[in-house]
Amino acid sequence: MILNALSITMIFIGALSALLAIWGGISSLILYRKWGRPSRPEEKTSLEDRSYLVLLIMVIVLLVRLINWPLFYATLQSIISDIEGAMCIFGVTQVKPGLTRFLELLKPVNFFLIGGWLILHILDRATKTSPLMKRKLLLLSVLSLLVLIDSFGDILLILRIAPESLVSCCTTITDILNRPTRTTPESIFGPEYARPLQGLFFITHLALMGLIGVSLKFKIFHRPILVLLFLFSFLNAILFLLSQIEVFAPAMMHLPFHHCLYCLWQYVPDSILLFAFFSLGTFSVGWGFTTDLFGRHGETADLLPIYLRKIYSFAFFFLSASLIMLVIHLLVD
Amino acid sequence: MKSQKRLVTYFIIIFIPFLVFSCEKRTSEDRCDYDGVRIQPLYAVYFSLKDGSEKQFCSMVCATMSFSKLKDRIEEVIVTDEASGTKIAASEAFFVESEMVNVPHVKNRIHIFAKKEDALKHLQKFKGRWVENPFYYSVK
Repeated sequence: MILNALSITMIFIGALSALLAIWGGISSLILYRKWGRPSRPEEKTSLEDRSYLVLLIMVIVLLVRLINWPLFYATLQSIISDIEGAMCIFGVTQVKPGLTRFLELLKPVNFFLIGGWLILHILDRATKTSPLMKRKLLLLSVLSLLVLIDSFGDILLILRIAPESLVSCCTTITDILNRPTRTTPESIFGPEYARPLQGLFFITHLALMGLIGVSLKFKIFHRPILVLLFLFSFLNAILFLLSQIEVFAPAMMHLPFHHCLYCLWQYVPDSILLFAFFSLGTFSVGWGFTTDLFGRHGETADLLPIYLRKIYSFAFFFLSASLIMLVIHLLVD
Repeated sequence: MKSQKRLVTYFIIIFIPFLVFSCEKRTSEDRCDYDGVRIQPLYAVYFSLKDGSEKQFCSMVCATMSFSKLKDRIEEVIVTDEASGTKIAASEAFFVESEMVNVPHVKNRIHIFAKKEDALKHLQKFKGRWVENPFYYSVK
Protein backbone atom coordinates (compact mmCIF):
# COMPACT_ATOMS: atom_id res chain seq x y z
CA MET A 1 0.00 0.00 0.00
CA ILE A 2 1.27 3.46 -0.89
CA LEU A 3 0.04 6.17 1.43
CA ASN A 4 -0.16 9.80 0.42
CA ALA A 5 -2.82 12.50 0.76
CA LEU A 6 -4.72 11.34 -2.33
CA SER A 7 -4.62 7.61 -1.63
CA ILE A 8 -5.83 8.21 1.94
CA THR A 9 -8.64 10.39 0.54
CA MET A 10 -9.55 7.60 -1.89
CA ILE A 11 -9.72 5.02 0.92
CA PHE A 12 -11.72 7.40 3.14
CA ILE A 13 -14.20 8.27 0.37
CA GLY A 14 -14.40 4.61 -0.64
CA ALA A 15 -15.15 3.40 2.90
CA LEU A 16 -17.69 6.15 3.57
CA SER A 17 -19.52 5.80 0.26
CA ALA A 18 -19.54 1.98 0.57
CA LEU A 19 -21.24 2.18 3.97
CA LEU A 20 -23.73 4.79 2.82
CA ALA A 21 -24.38 2.91 -0.43
CA ILE A 22 -25.33 -0.22 1.54
CA TRP A 23 -27.67 1.79 3.76
CA GLY A 24 -29.01 3.91 0.89
CA GLY A 25 -29.49 0.93 -1.42
CA ILE A 26 -31.45 -1.14 1.11
CA SER A 27 -33.49 1.88 2.28
CA SER A 28 -34.41 2.95 -1.25
CA LEU A 29 -35.46 -0.61 -2.12
CA ILE A 30 -37.70 -0.78 0.96
CA LEU A 31 -39.13 2.67 0.21
CA TYR A 32 -39.71 1.70 -3.42
CA ARG A 33 -41.80 -1.28 -2.34
CA LYS A 34 -43.83 0.82 0.12
CA TRP A 35 -44.27 3.86 -2.13
CA GLY A 36 -47.73 4.21 -3.72
CA ARG A 37 -49.39 1.63 -1.47
CA PRO A 38 -52.57 2.79 0.27
CA SER A 39 -51.69 3.88 3.82
CA ARG A 40 -52.80 6.14 6.64
CA PRO A 41 -51.84 9.87 6.42
CA GLU A 42 -49.30 9.63 9.29
CA GLU A 43 -47.66 6.58 7.67
CA LYS A 44 -47.51 8.41 4.37
CA THR A 45 -45.88 11.44 6.03
CA SER A 46 -43.36 9.19 7.73
CA LEU A 47 -42.59 7.45 4.40
CA GLU A 48 -42.11 10.80 2.63
CA ASP A 49 -39.85 12.10 5.42
CA ARG A 50 -37.72 8.97 5.26
CA SER A 51 -37.53 9.17 1.46
CA TYR A 52 -36.31 12.76 1.55
CA LEU A 53 -33.67 11.89 4.12
CA VAL A 54 -32.44 8.94 2.02
CA LEU A 55 -32.43 11.08 -1.12
CA LEU A 56 -30.61 13.95 0.58
CA ILE A 57 -27.81 11.73 1.86
CA MET A 58 -27.54 9.73 -1.36
CA VAL A 59 -27.35 12.91 -3.47
CA ILE A 60 -24.27 13.92 -1.47
CA VAL A 61 -22.77 10.42 -1.85
CA LEU A 62 -23.43 10.47 -5.59
CA LEU A 63 -21.92 13.94 -5.99
CA VAL A 64 -18.80 12.69 -4.21
CA ARG A 65 -18.71 9.67 -6.55
CA LEU A 66 -18.84 12.04 -9.52
CA ILE A 67 -15.67 13.70 -8.26
CA ASN A 68 -14.18 10.27 -7.62
CA TRP A 69 -13.53 9.64 -11.33
CA PRO A 70 -10.93 12.42 -11.78
CA LEU A 71 -9.69 11.75 -8.23
CA PHE A 72 -8.96 8.13 -9.23
CA TYR A 73 -6.60 9.26 -11.99
CA ALA A 74 -5.07 11.97 -9.80
CA THR A 75 -4.29 9.27 -7.20
CA LEU A 76 -2.71 6.96 -9.79
CA GLN A 77 -0.67 9.92 -11.07
CA SER A 78 0.52 10.68 -7.53
CA ILE A 79 2.02 7.22 -7.02
CA ILE A 80 3.97 6.98 -10.30
CA SER A 81 7.24 7.81 -8.58
CA ASP A 82 6.75 4.92 -6.11
CA ILE A 83 6.42 2.25 -8.79
CA GLU A 84 9.66 1.15 -10.39
CA GLY A 85 9.40 1.35 -14.16
CA ALA A 86 6.29 3.55 -14.24
CA MET A 87 6.68 6.82 -16.11
CA CYS A 88 2.98 7.63 -16.46
CA ILE A 89 -0.39 6.35 -15.15
CA PHE A 90 -0.15 3.40 -17.54
CA GLY A 91 2.73 2.00 -15.48
CA VAL A 92 0.66 2.18 -12.29
CA THR A 93 -2.24 0.42 -14.02
CA GLN A 94 0.11 -2.48 -14.73
CA VAL A 95 0.60 -3.30 -11.03
CA LYS A 96 -2.93 -4.75 -10.78
CA PRO A 97 -3.99 -4.70 -14.44
CA GLY A 98 -7.26 -6.66 -14.15
CA LEU A 99 -8.72 -4.69 -11.26
CA THR A 100 -7.55 -1.34 -12.64
CA ARG A 101 -9.03 -2.04 -16.08
CA PHE A 102 -12.32 -3.04 -14.46
CA LEU A 103 -12.41 0.20 -12.45
CA GLU A 104 -11.44 2.25 -15.49
CA LEU A 105 -14.47 0.83 -17.31
CA LEU A 106 -16.83 1.05 -14.34
CA LYS A 107 -16.08 4.68 -13.45
CA PRO A 108 -17.35 6.31 -16.67
CA VAL A 109 -20.43 4.05 -16.57
CA ASN A 110 -21.12 5.14 -12.98
CA PHE A 111 -20.45 8.78 -13.85
CA PHE A 112 -23.00 8.57 -16.66
CA LEU A 113 -25.64 6.80 -14.57
CA ILE A 114 -25.15 9.09 -11.57
CA GLY A 115 -25.40 12.17 -13.78
CA GLY A 116 -28.56 10.81 -15.41
CA TRP A 117 -30.10 10.02 -12.03
CA LEU A 118 -29.26 13.46 -10.60
CA ILE A 119 -30.94 15.17 -13.57
CA LEU A 120 -33.99 12.99 -13.04
CA HIS A 121 -33.97 13.98 -9.37
CA ILE A 122 -33.78 17.68 -10.21
CA LEU A 123 -36.64 17.28 -12.69
CA ASP A 124 -38.75 15.49 -10.10
CA ARG A 125 -38.07 18.15 -7.48
CA ALA A 126 -39.39 20.81 -9.85
CA THR A 127 -42.82 19.12 -9.78
CA LYS A 128 -45.46 19.37 -7.04
CA THR A 129 -46.37 15.68 -6.58
CA SER A 130 -43.03 13.91 -7.21
CA PRO A 131 -44.38 11.62 -9.96
CA LEU A 132 -40.92 10.14 -10.57
CA MET A 133 -40.25 9.16 -6.96
CA LYS A 134 -40.90 5.43 -7.43
CA ARG A 135 -38.61 5.22 -10.46
CA LYS A 136 -35.98 7.29 -8.71
CA LEU A 137 -35.95 4.98 -5.70
CA LEU A 138 -35.69 1.87 -7.85
CA LEU A 139 -32.86 3.36 -9.95
CA LEU A 140 -31.15 4.54 -6.78
CA SER A 141 -31.07 1.02 -5.35
CA VAL A 142 -29.43 -0.25 -8.57
CA LEU A 143 -27.03 2.68 -8.58
CA SER A 144 -26.11 2.03 -4.95
CA LEU A 145 -24.96 -1.45 -5.89
CA LEU A 146 -22.65 -0.03 -8.59
CA VAL A 147 -21.36 2.61 -6.17
CA LEU A 148 -20.67 -0.16 -3.65
CA ILE A 149 -18.69 -2.22 -6.19
CA ASP A 150 -16.78 0.88 -7.30
CA SER A 151 -15.97 1.89 -3.72
CA PHE A 152 -14.75 -1.58 -2.76
CA GLY A 153 -12.70 -1.67 -5.95
CA ASP A 154 -11.02 1.62 -5.08
CA ILE A 155 -10.14 0.47 -1.56
CA LEU A 156 -8.88 -2.90 -2.78
CA LEU A 157 -6.73 -1.33 -5.48
CA ILE A 158 -5.10 1.22 -3.20
CA LEU A 159 -4.44 -1.44 -0.55
CA ARG A 160 -2.93 -3.88 -3.05
CA ILE A 161 -0.56 -1.56 -4.91
CA ALA A 162 2.83 -2.43 -3.47
CA PRO A 163 5.56 0.22 -3.63
CA GLU A 164 8.32 -2.18 -4.70
CA SER A 165 6.42 -3.34 -7.82
CA LEU A 166 8.44 -3.44 -11.05
CA VAL A 167 6.40 -2.82 -14.18
CA SER A 168 6.85 -2.10 -17.88
CA CYS A 169 5.35 1.18 -18.93
CA CYS A 170 3.38 2.27 -21.98
CA THR A 171 6.18 2.30 -24.59
CA THR A 172 6.39 -1.48 -24.80
CA ILE A 173 2.61 -1.97 -25.01
CA THR A 174 0.82 1.03 -26.57
CA ASP A 175 3.35 1.44 -29.39
CA ILE A 176 3.53 -2.13 -30.69
CA LEU A 177 2.68 -2.52 -34.38
CA ASN A 178 -0.26 -4.88 -33.89
CA ARG A 179 -2.11 -2.68 -31.37
CA PRO A 180 -5.89 -2.81 -32.05
CA THR A 181 -6.18 0.98 -32.33
CA ARG A 182 -3.83 0.77 -35.34
CA THR A 183 -4.95 -2.47 -36.96
CA THR A 184 -8.68 -1.60 -36.88
CA PRO A 185 -8.49 1.69 -38.86
CA GLU A 186 -5.70 0.22 -41.02
CA SER A 187 -7.99 -2.63 -42.09
CA ILE A 188 -10.59 -0.06 -43.21
CA PHE A 189 -8.50 2.80 -44.62
CA GLY A 190 -5.24 1.06 -45.53
CA PRO A 191 -1.69 1.84 -44.39
CA GLU A 192 -2.19 5.63 -44.65
CA TYR A 193 -5.08 5.52 -42.20
CA ALA A 194 -4.19 8.59 -40.11
CA ARG A 195 -5.65 11.30 -42.37
CA PRO A 196 -8.95 9.53 -43.18
CA LEU A 197 -9.42 8.70 -39.49
CA GLN A 198 -8.80 12.31 -38.52
CA GLY A 199 -11.18 13.51 -41.25
CA LEU A 200 -13.88 11.04 -40.22
CA PHE A 201 -13.69 12.19 -36.61
CA PHE A 202 -14.10 15.86 -37.58
CA ILE A 203 -17.04 14.97 -39.85
CA THR A 204 -18.89 12.95 -37.17
CA HIS A 205 -18.14 15.52 -34.47
CA LEU A 206 -19.41 18.41 -36.58
CA ALA A 207 -22.42 16.35 -37.72
CA LEU A 208 -23.27 15.56 -34.08
CA MET A 209 -23.01 19.23 -33.15
CA GLY A 210 -25.10 20.13 -36.20
CA LEU A 211 -27.83 17.66 -35.25
CA ILE A 212 -27.90 18.98 -31.68
CA GLY A 213 -27.99 22.55 -33.03
CA VAL A 214 -30.95 21.73 -35.29
CA SER A 215 -32.80 20.00 -32.42
CA LEU A 216 -32.24 23.04 -30.23
CA LYS A 217 -33.20 25.56 -32.90
CA PHE A 218 -36.47 23.85 -33.90
CA LYS A 219 -37.13 22.36 -30.44
CA ILE A 220 -37.39 18.83 -31.80
CA PHE A 221 -37.04 16.42 -28.90
CA HIS A 222 -38.86 13.35 -30.19
CA ARG A 223 -37.72 9.98 -28.84
CA PRO A 224 -36.30 8.64 -32.17
CA ILE A 225 -34.20 11.82 -32.60
CA LEU A 226 -32.85 11.48 -29.06
CA VAL A 227 -32.02 7.79 -29.64
CA LEU A 228 -30.23 8.75 -32.87
CA LEU A 229 -28.25 11.47 -31.08
CA PHE A 230 -27.34 9.06 -28.29
CA LEU A 231 -26.08 6.39 -30.69
CA PHE A 232 -24.30 8.98 -32.80
CA SER A 233 -22.53 10.41 -29.76
CA PHE A 234 -21.41 6.89 -28.85
CA LEU A 235 -19.94 6.38 -32.33
CA ASN A 236 -18.31 9.81 -32.09
CA ALA A 237 -16.76 8.87 -28.74
CA ILE A 238 -15.21 5.72 -30.25
CA LEU A 239 -13.80 7.76 -33.13
CA PHE A 240 -12.54 10.39 -30.69
CA LEU A 241 -10.61 7.78 -28.72
CA LEU A 242 -9.19 6.13 -31.84
CA SER A 243 -8.12 9.39 -33.43
CA GLN A 244 -6.68 10.67 -30.15
CA ILE A 245 -4.55 7.56 -29.69
CA GLU A 246 -3.43 7.27 -33.29
CA VAL A 247 -3.26 10.85 -34.59
CA PHE A 248 -3.84 13.72 -32.18
CA ALA A 249 -1.95 12.59 -29.05
CA PRO A 250 1.37 11.96 -30.89
CA ALA A 251 0.99 15.35 -32.62
CA MET A 252 0.20 17.24 -29.41
CA MET A 253 3.07 15.54 -27.51
CA HIS A 254 5.53 16.12 -30.38
CA LEU A 255 6.32 12.40 -30.11
CA PRO A 256 5.20 11.02 -33.50
CA PHE A 257 5.59 7.33 -32.60
CA HIS A 258 4.15 7.42 -29.09
CA HIS A 259 0.45 6.66 -28.60
CA CYS A 260 -0.16 6.77 -24.84
CA LEU A 261 -3.06 8.95 -23.66
CA TYR A 262 -1.76 8.97 -20.08
CA CYS A 263 1.50 10.45 -21.34
CA LEU A 264 -0.55 13.04 -23.23
CA TRP A 265 -2.23 14.13 -19.99
CA GLN A 266 1.17 14.29 -18.32
CA TYR A 267 3.06 16.18 -21.03
CA VAL A 268 0.18 18.37 -22.22
CA PRO A 269 -1.86 18.98 -19.02
CA ASP A 270 -4.53 21.13 -20.67
CA SER A 271 -5.49 18.09 -22.77
CA ILE A 272 -7.18 16.83 -19.56
CA LEU A 273 -9.66 19.68 -19.98
CA LEU A 274 -10.14 18.72 -23.60
CA PHE A 275 -11.02 15.19 -22.51
CA ALA A 276 -13.24 16.51 -19.69
CA PHE A 277 -15.15 18.75 -22.12
CA PHE A 278 -15.56 15.95 -24.61
CA SER A 279 -16.76 13.53 -21.92
CA LEU A 280 -19.26 16.03 -20.50
CA GLY A 281 -20.52 16.86 -24.01
CA THR A 282 -20.97 13.20 -24.90
CA PHE A 283 -22.53 12.31 -21.55
CA SER A 284 -24.91 15.28 -21.82
CA VAL A 285 -26.28 13.82 -25.07
CA GLY A 286 -26.83 10.54 -23.23
CA TRP A 287 -28.38 12.32 -20.25
CA GLY A 288 -30.85 13.97 -22.60
CA PHE A 289 -31.93 10.53 -23.75
CA THR A 290 -32.16 9.00 -20.24
CA THR A 291 -34.09 12.02 -18.93
CA ASP A 292 -36.64 11.59 -21.72
CA LEU A 293 -36.73 7.82 -21.18
CA PHE A 294 -37.31 7.86 -17.43
CA GLY A 295 -38.64 11.38 -16.86
CA ARG A 296 -41.69 11.45 -19.16
CA HIS A 297 -44.54 11.00 -16.70
CA GLY A 298 -47.73 13.07 -16.26
CA GLU A 299 -46.75 16.23 -14.46
CA THR A 300 -43.25 16.37 -15.97
CA ALA A 301 -44.56 16.57 -19.56
CA ASP A 302 -44.53 20.38 -19.55
CA LEU A 303 -41.16 20.67 -17.82
CA LEU A 304 -39.34 18.07 -19.89
CA PRO A 305 -38.77 20.16 -23.06
CA ILE A 306 -37.26 22.96 -20.95
CA TYR A 307 -34.88 20.50 -19.26
CA LEU A 308 -33.99 18.78 -22.51
CA ARG A 309 -33.19 22.14 -24.06
CA LYS A 310 -30.83 22.93 -21.18
CA ILE A 311 -29.15 19.51 -21.34
CA TYR A 312 -28.57 19.68 -25.10
CA SER A 313 -27.32 23.28 -24.82
CA PHE A 314 -24.72 21.97 -22.38
CA ALA A 315 -23.86 19.15 -24.79
CA PHE A 316 -23.44 21.62 -27.64
CA PHE A 317 -21.32 23.92 -25.48
CA PHE A 318 -18.96 21.18 -24.23
CA LEU A 319 -18.58 19.52 -27.62
CA SER A 320 -17.79 22.91 -29.19
CA ALA A 321 -15.28 23.67 -26.44
CA SER A 322 -13.45 20.36 -26.91
CA LEU A 323 -13.38 20.82 -30.69
CA ILE A 324 -12.02 24.37 -30.45
CA MET A 325 -9.34 23.25 -27.99
CA LEU A 326 -8.30 20.43 -30.29
CA VAL A 327 -8.15 22.68 -33.35
CA ILE A 328 -6.12 25.30 -31.47
CA HIS A 329 -3.67 22.61 -30.36
CA LEU A 330 -3.29 21.21 -33.84
CA LEU A 331 -2.76 24.68 -35.32
CA VAL A 332 -0.26 25.79 -32.67
CA ASP A 333 1.61 22.49 -32.53
CA MET B 1 -31.61 34.60 -24.62
CA LYS B 2 -30.05 35.89 -21.42
CA SER B 3 -28.81 32.44 -20.48
CA GLN B 4 -27.30 31.98 -23.95
CA LYS B 5 -25.35 35.23 -23.57
CA ARG B 6 -24.16 34.08 -20.17
CA LEU B 7 -23.08 30.76 -21.70
CA VAL B 8 -21.07 32.54 -24.39
CA THR B 9 -19.44 34.76 -21.74
CA TYR B 10 -18.41 31.72 -19.68
CA PHE B 11 -17.14 30.11 -22.85
CA ILE B 12 -14.84 33.04 -23.59
CA ILE B 13 -13.68 33.41 -19.97
CA ILE B 14 -12.83 29.72 -19.76
CA PHE B 15 -11.02 29.75 -23.07
CA ILE B 16 -8.49 32.47 -22.34
CA PRO B 17 -6.38 30.24 -20.02
CA PHE B 18 -6.73 27.39 -22.52
CA LEU B 19 -5.32 29.54 -25.27
CA VAL B 20 -2.41 30.54 -23.02
CA PHE B 21 -1.77 26.88 -22.14
CA SER B 22 -2.07 25.76 -25.73
CA CYS B 23 0.44 28.25 -27.05
CA GLU B 24 3.03 27.45 -24.38
CA LYS B 25 6.10 25.82 -25.91
CA ARG B 26 7.23 22.58 -24.33
CA THR B 27 10.98 22.06 -24.13
CA SER B 28 12.45 18.64 -24.91
CA GLU B 29 16.19 19.13 -24.40
CA ASP B 30 16.82 16.12 -22.17
CA ARG B 31 13.78 14.08 -23.12
CA CYS B 32 13.55 10.91 -25.17
CA ASP B 33 12.32 11.54 -28.73
CA TYR B 34 10.27 8.36 -28.60
CA ASP B 35 8.31 8.43 -25.33
CA GLY B 36 9.24 11.79 -23.79
CA VAL B 37 10.90 10.35 -20.66
CA ARG B 38 13.81 12.22 -19.09
CA ILE B 39 17.05 10.69 -20.36
CA GLN B 40 19.71 9.27 -18.08
CA PRO B 41 22.89 10.11 -20.06
CA LEU B 42 24.54 6.75 -19.21
CA TYR B 43 22.00 4.79 -21.28
CA ALA B 44 21.31 7.30 -24.05
CA VAL B 45 21.35 6.43 -27.76
CA TYR B 46 21.64 9.09 -30.48
CA PHE B 47 20.75 9.04 -34.19
CA SER B 48 22.54 11.57 -36.41
CA LEU B 49 20.20 12.17 -39.32
CA LYS B 50 21.17 12.95 -42.91
CA ASP B 51 19.58 16.43 -42.66
CA GLY B 52 22.04 17.33 -39.86
CA SER B 53 19.55 17.02 -36.98
CA GLU B 54 19.81 14.58 -34.08
CA LYS B 55 17.35 12.29 -32.30
CA GLN B 56 18.01 11.11 -28.74
CA PHE B 57 16.55 8.14 -26.91
CA CYS B 58 16.44 7.02 -23.28
CA SER B 59 17.29 3.37 -24.00
CA MET B 60 18.08 0.73 -26.58
CA VAL B 61 14.40 -0.23 -26.60
CA CYS B 62 13.20 3.23 -27.66
CA ALA B 63 16.07 3.54 -30.15
CA THR B 64 15.31 0.19 -31.82
CA MET B 65 11.56 0.98 -31.94
CA SER B 66 12.33 4.29 -33.69
CA PHE B 67 15.00 2.76 -35.89
CA SER B 68 12.57 0.93 -38.17
CA LYS B 69 10.72 4.18 -38.86
CA LEU B 70 13.77 6.39 -39.31
CA LYS B 71 16.32 4.05 -40.90
CA ASP B 72 16.22 5.74 -44.31
CA ARG B 73 17.14 9.08 -42.72
CA ILE B 74 19.90 7.89 -40.36
CA GLU B 75 23.52 8.82 -41.01
CA GLU B 76 25.11 7.39 -37.86
CA VAL B 77 24.09 5.73 -34.60
CA ILE B 78 25.93 6.82 -31.45
CA VAL B 79 25.64 4.86 -28.20
CA THR B 80 26.93 5.38 -24.66
CA ASP B 81 29.48 3.15 -22.94
CA GLU B 82 27.88 2.07 -19.67
CA ALA B 83 31.25 1.69 -17.95
CA SER B 84 32.63 5.16 -18.66
CA GLY B 85 29.73 7.21 -20.00
CA THR B 86 31.59 8.15 -23.19
CA LYS B 87 29.82 8.31 -26.53
CA ILE B 88 30.96 5.86 -29.20
CA ALA B 89 29.78 4.74 -32.64
CA ALA B 90 27.38 1.78 -32.44
CA SER B 91 29.53 -0.13 -34.93
CA GLU B 92 32.45 -0.11 -32.42
CA ALA B 93 30.41 -1.10 -29.36
CA PHE B 94 29.84 -4.48 -27.67
CA PHE B 95 26.25 -5.41 -26.83
CA VAL B 96 25.29 -7.73 -23.97
CA GLU B 97 21.83 -8.88 -22.92
CA SER B 98 21.67 -9.79 -19.25
CA GLU B 99 19.35 -10.22 -16.27
CA MET B 100 20.05 -6.66 -15.15
CA VAL B 101 17.48 -4.02 -16.10
CA ASN B 102 18.99 -0.56 -16.53
CA VAL B 103 16.01 1.46 -17.80
CA PRO B 104 13.04 0.05 -15.83
CA HIS B 105 10.08 1.64 -17.69
CA VAL B 106 10.96 -0.25 -20.87
CA LYS B 107 12.66 -3.16 -19.05
CA ASN B 108 15.78 -2.65 -21.10
CA ARG B 109 18.24 -5.54 -20.62
CA ILE B 110 20.67 -4.69 -23.42
CA HIS B 111 23.89 -3.14 -22.16
CA ILE B 112 26.49 -1.33 -24.23
CA PHE B 113 30.24 -1.27 -23.66
CA ALA B 114 33.21 0.28 -25.47
CA LYS B 115 35.71 -2.35 -24.18
CA LYS B 116 35.32 -6.08 -24.60
CA GLU B 117 36.67 -6.79 -21.10
CA ASP B 118 33.99 -4.57 -19.50
CA ALA B 119 31.33 -6.35 -21.53
CA LEU B 120 32.73 -9.75 -20.54
CA LYS B 121 32.79 -8.78 -16.85
CA HIS B 122 29.13 -7.72 -17.04
CA LEU B 123 28.23 -10.84 -18.98
CA GLN B 124 29.71 -13.12 -16.29
CA LYS B 125 28.35 -11.15 -13.36
CA PHE B 126 24.73 -10.84 -14.59
CA LYS B 127 24.32 -14.11 -16.56
CA GLY B 128 24.43 -12.34 -19.91
CA ARG B 129 24.90 -13.31 -23.55
CA TRP B 130 26.39 -11.53 -26.53
CA VAL B 131 23.96 -9.84 -28.89
CA GLU B 132 24.65 -8.33 -32.29
CA ASN B 133 24.55 -4.62 -32.92
CA PRO B 134 20.86 -4.07 -33.79
CA PHE B 135 21.80 -1.14 -36.03
CA TYR B 136 24.74 -2.88 -37.76
CA TYR B 137 23.21 -4.24 -40.97
CA SER B 138 21.25 -1.18 -41.89
CA VAL B 139 23.59 1.71 -41.21
CA LYS B 140 26.97 1.99 -42.88
